[in-house]
Amino acid sequence: MDKKKQKKEKSDSYLVLEKYFLKNTRAKVGVGILVFFALVAIFAPVIAPYGPKDISFMPWEKPSLAHPLGVNSYGQDIFSQVVYGTQVTMVVGVLAGLLTSFIGVFVGLLAGYKGGRTGEILMRIVDVFLVVPTLAFMIVLAAFLPSMGIWNLVIIIGGLNWLWMARSIRSQTLSEARREYVDAAKVQGMGTLEIMFKEILPNIIPVVTANMVMVITSAMLTEATLSFLGLGDPTLISWGQMLSVAFDNNAILYNAWWWMLPPGLSIATLGFSFMLIGNSFLDIYANDRGGAVKL
Amino acid sequence: MKGITLKYVCKRLLSALFTLWVALTFNFLLPRMMGGDPAEYLASQNAMGSAEYAQQIREQFGLDKGILEQYARYLGGLLQGDLGVSYTNFPIPVKDIILQAMPWTLLIVLISTLLSFLIAWLVGTVAALKKGSLFDNTVVGVSFYIQSVPYFLVAMLLVMGLGYHLNWFPMGHAMTPGADLANMGALVKNIAYHAFLPVLSLVIVSLAGRMIMMRSNILQVFSEDYIVLAQAKGLRRSKILTKYALRNAMLPSFTGLMLSLGQAVGGAIATEMIFSYPGIGLTIMNAVLSHDYPLVQGCFAIIALSVVLLNFLADLIYPLIDPRVSLE
Repeated sequence: MDKKKQKKEKSDSYLVLEKYFLKNTRAKVGVGILVFFALVAIFAPVIAPYGPKDISFMPWEKPSLAHPLGVNSYGQDIFSQVVYGTQVTMVVGVLAGLLTSFIGVFVGLLAGYKGGRTGEILMRIVDVFLVVPTLAFMIVLAAFLPSMGIWNLVIIIGGLNWLWMARSIRSQTLSEARREYVDAAKVQGMGTLEIMFKEILPNIIPVVTANMVMVITSAMLTEATLSFLGLGDPTLISWGQMLSVAFDNNAILYNAWWWMLPPGLSIATLGFSFMLIGNSFLDIYANDRGGAVKL
Repeated sequence: MKGITLKYVCKRLLSALFTLWVALTFNFLLPRMMGGDPAEYLASQNAMGSAEYAQQIREQFGLDKGILEQYARYLGGLLQGDLGVSYTNFPIPVKDIILQAMPWTLLIVLISTLLSFLIAWLVGTVAALKKGSLFDNTVVGVSFYIQSVPYFLVAMLLVMGLGYHLNWFPMGHAMTPGADLANMGALVKNIAYHAFLPVLSLVIVSLAGRMIMMRSNILQVFSEDYIVLAQAKGLRRSKILTKYALRNAMLPSFTGLMLSLGQAVGGAIATEMIFSYPGIGLTIMNAVLSHDYPLVQGCFAIIALSVVLLNFLADLIYPLIDPRVSLE
């Protein structure tokens, strides 16, 4: 009897894996791209032929066998910079995205499940801040901060992005809270937090994941934008920082497409992979629940 | 006026005013929380760090007063449209600088947002109608990719390709210096010629997300019961689309239009930088780089004001076109 039950549970989680990943081409492509970039980030010192800040080549050299992506105006190898830039861009994107997700899930679950006055007040706060223009606010914030290290970037980007996510999680929680399993948990005498995190959260994991990959993408783009505007950390080499330096050094007038395209397209490709994963999860989840789920 | 009640308007207005107050208070507190003395900075820039000069600046800008008094002066000044005096362009009032920059930003932001919504509505609808076709798959795939392209990269590539390399369009600025201001026709042409690339770059990037949204709106409406009923009645597809589906699918994106108009004012900052376009974005960036705090704050106040205002307008118009809204 016990054995049979165990086998059934195993096949349940396998079914979930199969549904969301093995039979899901979009997610497989997305995860493939993601793993590729993650490997590049981890093995950057092995992959990159030169140090990212080594100044030892002829400036403005076009792509060649020795320098697959050419050389920038300082005489630095661009391929090595793109490889090392993967580290910073991914770390900032993922950490900021995790911070956002943590706040967003907590506020969303609380506002959706507890409802009442707490939920009302929380959503009021969210609505008020949703209107504040985020990028302009970040610029003002970055302008007044004495220095912009990687942690400040993560906190600013992650801490200001959770509003949409909180809304989305809340509306999903609202519809979950009406289901029977929540009533059953209440009858069993489970506490509020326990129901929120042990019962409801596992059921909305696809929505959480979809939201999470979206906010990671937007965090990466925000980091790139802030760096481009000269508000990032100039000592770090990220893809956005590379674009910023390229623009400041008149890469446009040198027709140096090899300096602008690689970091730019890297951001786009990585973001694309996150989008693929998130959207395919959302579609499958929406099909299960019989209707569209909006982020 | 079925949907709008006085209570609804008051509630929205209060909420808008509250949002504005929060944004403006942050705007006031931020530079003061972060430390760093602008007077010392200016003194070191202009008068070799003279303590006397710094003191003079402090008195002139009221920085020697208590924080509450500064706050009261700040809010009071805002109510009278007084945004202070720019440090770096002394003694030009911040208001004048912003009034000069705002029209340029509005020009490119309005045109690009409207254009991008128009194209998104068209292409998104066609893609939804042909769901699963090659066209649909291409639109969705390409949109997903473009959605993650940094918008300033598109602007840089356009400047390089169409501006510098092919020399079809000017590489920057809003019009040719010394253009003949009296000749209206030539002036309009000159301005449009300069605005083309910035607008194009903004359209390309914002198009993708809106297209996906419009497509999924249409698809959702198509799954509703009344569309199924219309189909069962044997109505023609074109009639179902124009009479039932399109209007309902456009409603959510109307709110999106108003919201993104507001956000776009702040979002065009990098674009304006790349094209040296003399709008509010370039102004705030230059102000940030030169530590011109009153100008930074003034720009942010104006951006926040425009966002809140547009949101409020959207709140007012929405129940008129969709009576279901005020029921909630």
